[in-house]
Amino acid sequence: MNELPHLGNIFDRLKRGYHLGPDDEPEFSALCEWFDDYARYFAALGLTLVRHEREFFYFEPDNLEDVPITLPRIAVFSYIIIDHATNQGKPIEEFIFGQHFLVTALPHFTLDRYTSLLRQVDVHNVDDLRTLLNRMEQIGWVKIRGLGEDEFRFLRPFHRVFSKCLEVAQLSQAAQPDASQPAAT
Amino acid sequence: MKVNPQNFFNFCANHASLLRGLAERGGEVSESEAMRLIHENPSGEELPKTAWRRLRELQILVPTEPGSELFLMAEPVARLLAYLFNEANAATPEIIRGYVLSLETTVKRLARALDEEDIQQVTLAFEEISQTLRRIHADLNETQHAILAEVAHYKTERSHVSVREKFRRIVHWMERYVEPMIEIVRADGPLRAAFDETERLLHRAREESLVNDHPALFRNLRFLRLVGAYALRVFTQCRKEIQPLYESLRRLSFIAEGAARALEKLQAEGLSKWGNEYLIGVAALRFQNVPSDAAIVLALRRVIEYPPEPPPVMEFAAEKEEPDALVRLKWLDSLPDFVRGDLPVEDLMGWLLEKYPDRDTSEVLAGFTALVFHRDFQATFTDGTRHTYDTADGEIKASPLTLVST
Repeated sequence: MNELPHLGNIFDRLKRGYHLGPDDEPEFSALCEWFDDYARYFAALGLTLVRHEREFFYFEPDNLEDVPITLPRIAVFSYIIIDHATNQGKPIEEFIFGQHFLVTALPHFTLDRYTSLLRQVDVHNVDDLRTLLNRMEQIGWVKIRGLGEDEFRFLRPFHRVFSKCLEVAQLSQAAQPDASQPAAT
Repeated sequence: MKVNPQNFFNFCANHASLLRGLAERGGEVSESEAMRLIHENPSGEELPKTAWRRLRELQILVPTEPGSELFLMAEPVARLLAYLFNEANAATPEIIRGYVLSLETTVKRLARALDEEDIQQVTLAFEEISQTLRRIHADLNETQHAILAEVAHYKTERSHVSVREKFRRIVHWMERYVEPMIEIVRADGPLRAAFDETERLLHRAREESLVNDHPALFRNLRFLRLVGAYALRVFTQCRKEIQPLYESLRRLSFIAEGAARALEKLQAEGLSKWGNEYLIGVAALRFQNVPSDAAIVLALRRVIEYPPEPPPVMEFAAEKEEPDALVRLKWLDSLPDFVRGDLPVEDLMGWLLEKYPDRDTSEVLAGFTALVFHRDFQATFTDGTRHTYDTADGEIKASPLTLVST
């Protein structure tokens, strides 16, 4: 194909760490259809376009030498919500993707353990959570705009957290060769 | 003591819900627990004490040991109720292996009987084979029901059981029942081998005319093939039922484990040692070294439009006068040696102003500080009244400070 559609928009969003998912039309459909062409184009610029098996797209990040503080914050926030769903005996993916959340009703400050973990990454109150969620919206992991006040929902690219969890579990299982290996992401 | 069947079934007919309650509860029951169940499942005008007595008389509940206060549901009754309530108990692989062994022994006896042309032994072996096959069939059937019931239970269960707990349970079913059973019943497994040998001997019995009951022989042959095929199908089906649930729970369990491990590590070792392996990287491109077109144009314009001017002339001659800062530093460095000769000093500020009346306030304070914090001296504020010290460019109000050598 001579000219890739929405190239400017796609590049502009991906380069900022945004994950393009089904909520991002028409860019998402264009990427689905001409993924190989886009991947080749970006590869020439030294950028790796990743198509996650759960069908969303992002640029492969550089190595994490210079880690911005938002990354640990996002990680801790995400692990806590997964931990909460597990403790409640709820199916994790259904719990995460199957509902809208209220910032004020999140479980993050309901346990001292969670509060203390969040304190380590400088997240102290609900306002800090709001700031964090805004950042997560900027990378396409949650949707806030267009929903009710203090309301948000997780988007498909949040699957990257699940992939990371599987990776972590796999690493720990590697030390115990008898245990079953995690399924593919 | 034999139980009267009529009385037994009459009692059962009137106490079906009580029996179900007892069967579902399972395990050992005390009198108080049994009485509670009797109260919860009343039967007409009958007194609870009567029902309790009848349960024991009819040997529905039997003591766990002679004289014990704890009771168990009698095994035959438990089996009957499981059958009536369609509650299957899975047969363990050991049970099926036992049947296979039993079949192998019987087949050996059959082979010997055929060699010896012992018709009576052949007939007995025939009956045993037939019975074993029926038991295998019944147990396989029951195991399949039990596994399917368990799968259905997981799919509908909404209780607060953690994903990892559910996973552990399904792994138990998979590893305890399904996989070992498939090992036993697969085409090249021990069950098939025992069946093949049995079939061969049954054919031999027919060929050697050592069996008169041909319909029974053909029934056994048909049953052999049926049970062999059925066993494999049952457990393949069970695996198909349980596998997606197993995979899904395994994935969820690992997700939960990954998150828990990441948080545990953070809690135990803190953020500084948490490590990047728990972070989810996000691309962020910064074009710090690539100037834009506008920047390039501006840079070129600056070069082109730069007004020519003569190059600067460097003064290579050494400076004649020392810079003020150096003079001040040398003065500060000389102070400890100067004051050392006058120690102890009763009023350090007074001493400084007396010796250096031309120094301005900031220099006096700098000298004062250098002496107060010098390691060779010990400074102590006196509790005397505050003095006003005049400097070259102002005044300082302070209590006198004595300075002695350490």
